[in-house]
Amino acid sequence: MHASVSARGDGVIDRGRLRAAPVVHVESVSRSFGDRMALSDVSLRVGGGEIHALLGPNGAGKTTLLRLLSGALAPTGGLVRVGGLDASRGSTELRRLVGVVPAGDRSLYLRISALENLVFFGRLQGLTRHAARERAEHALERVGLAEHAQRPVNRYSHGMQKRVSFARALLTEPRVLLVDEATHDLDPDGAEQIRRLTIGVAARGTSVLWATQRLEEIRDFAKTVTVLDCGVVRFAGPVSALSALAASRRYVLELRNGSHMVSALNATLRGRGRIERVSSSEYLLAVDPLATLGQVLAAIEAEGVPVLDCREERSRLEGAFLEITRRAAR
Amino acid sequence: MIVPLATPSLRARRFGEEVRKLPAFLRRDLLVAVSYRAVFVGDIVALVMQALLFAYIGKLVDSNAMPSYNGQQASYIEFATIGIAVGAFTQLGLARAAQAIRNEQLLGTLDPMLATPTEVETIQVGSVMFDLVYVPVRTFVFLVLMFLLYGLGYQWSGAVPSLVVLMLLIPSVWGLGIVGAAAVMTFRRGNSTVGLAGMFIALASGAYFPLTLLPAWLQSIMRATPMAIALQRIRDALIGGTGWSGIGVAAAILVAWAVCSLAVGLLAFRRALRRERRLGTLGLY
Repeated sequence: MHASVSARGDGVIDRGRLRAAPVVHVESVSRSFGDRMALSDVSLRVGGGEIHALLGPNGAGKTTLLRLLSGALAPTGGLVRVGGLDASRGSTELRRLVGVVPAGDRSLYLRISALENLVFFGRLQGLTRHAARERAEHALERVGLAEHAQRPVNRYSHGMQKRVSFARALLTEPRVLLVDEATHDLDPDGAEQIRRLTIGVAARGTSVLWATQRLEEIRDFAKTVTVLDCGVVRFAGPVSALSALAASRRYVLELRNGSHMVSALNATLRGRGRIERVSSSEYLLAVDPLATLGQVLAAIEAEGVPVLDCREERSRLEGAFLEITRRAAR
Repeated sequence: MIVPLATPSLRARRFGEEVRKLPAFLRRDLLVAVSYRAVFVGDIVALVMQALLFAYIGKLVDSNAMPSYNGQQASYIEFATIGIAVGAFTQLGLARAAQAIRNEQLLGTLDPMLATPTEVETIQVGSVMFDLVYVPVRTFVFLVLMFLLYGLGYQWSGAVPSLVVLMLLIPSVWGLGIVGAAAVMTFRRGNSTVGLAGMFIALASGAYFPLTLLPAWLQSIMRATPMAIALQRIRDALIGGTGWSGIGVAAAILVAWAVCSLAVGLLAFRRALRRERRLGTLGLY
């Protein structure tokens, strides 16, 4: 079923019908820049309150797709509907529905404060000065910048500027939030804060499209994912399905006094995982699907072998992603 | 809930919403201007230097070679002060209107701005709001400075009619500025071209020397330009003391110019914007 604007013969839109349709509906969309095909036959649907990840390397077409959804760019072919509106027209109505967090470092007035930046953009959203100020203060508080609200943006770090940019998109509680590489230059705490905020926004019914090339970012965060590579959809479905494409979870462990304990450890770990020595102090651990890493590590330490370090050999998502793109290349 | 599509009353409401956004631009640009104090001071110093420069040039010019207005012989400094004030007004307006969108592109703020439910026309008008306040203030400061330094013998009865003519000149200049903005958006490095066009208009419309010095064919073309019309009326009023006489005809011509230049400007700008959206190059600089 296609989402469509229910424009009736009497020239009105029935919002009741719109609620039932997917909020974001992209059908066989293509977009070229001269000879270069940036997107080819891309389709996706995102429901209300859903976080949908757009995953892909640089040049995959993620930003192009987000620009199509925000109405900043018109597609060469296909259908792009947001909230039931034809996004290719880039109408004012569409822009009322959509909040955008752009990828670039520069999207704010650097000489004026974060608060004044947000008040300005709030006014452009149609808010009164008083309402814009209230919402700006609240949004800055939500991204943890309330204390720095009066500082000119040019004295902010890149990460802080990104958070202001995120706060700007939250000024009007948009129906659709388009986020382009929001956390790539944030520290882990800042990134986690933005992800938590996004989950909160989605819980209130906002559909989120989250473009990223960081695979680990979408685990326990996005519900569904579209993997793009060279403008083509390589995978579309639940994040769990993407994970399932990968081999079992493998970790590199650094153990103290483990060299003579490999057989004993494998006997202890039976049914939960398997360990093998790869160098003088490093061991490769494969965790079975039904076991958790915590259980396995606890079992190793219970055998009197301290675990000095533990890191993923390669993340499941990364593995899945590489598998998908490699398959496509073949 | 049933939401009506754009009806006349909805359009009027949206127009009101757009107008209410304009003070936000004024505040933004005021805050930015205040943050560049050195630039602001530099502008005032440049104004003083300009006043001094033309005073010395004025000493070289024989007053008998200057035109008279309503039988009143103008001194060069009286003649040029009006030209400089109106010329600066025109050039600044032209350049700022053309530059506004480009500045947003360079700052990276154009895309986020266009992502809000704000009409492009509002962004254009909003981007020159500060100049609409600042440029008249700057012109006033310049005139006061010239009065203090050289004791200009203008007719005060011409002050209000001159102000009306100046106000009517703004939309004409602004329309040309929007044409410039479309060119800058399309060709990226069109600023110098717009600057040159502004300089040509200022030079050839009789801001710094009488139009009679130009070749006859160029004279007849330039006399029809809004700036030449405005300059003639303002000089008539301030030097010749003609008051409101002849203002009606000048106002009608300036309004016609304004309508045409704004219509062409907005059309060109919308086309340029559509082209950028089609090519996907709007955010590029």
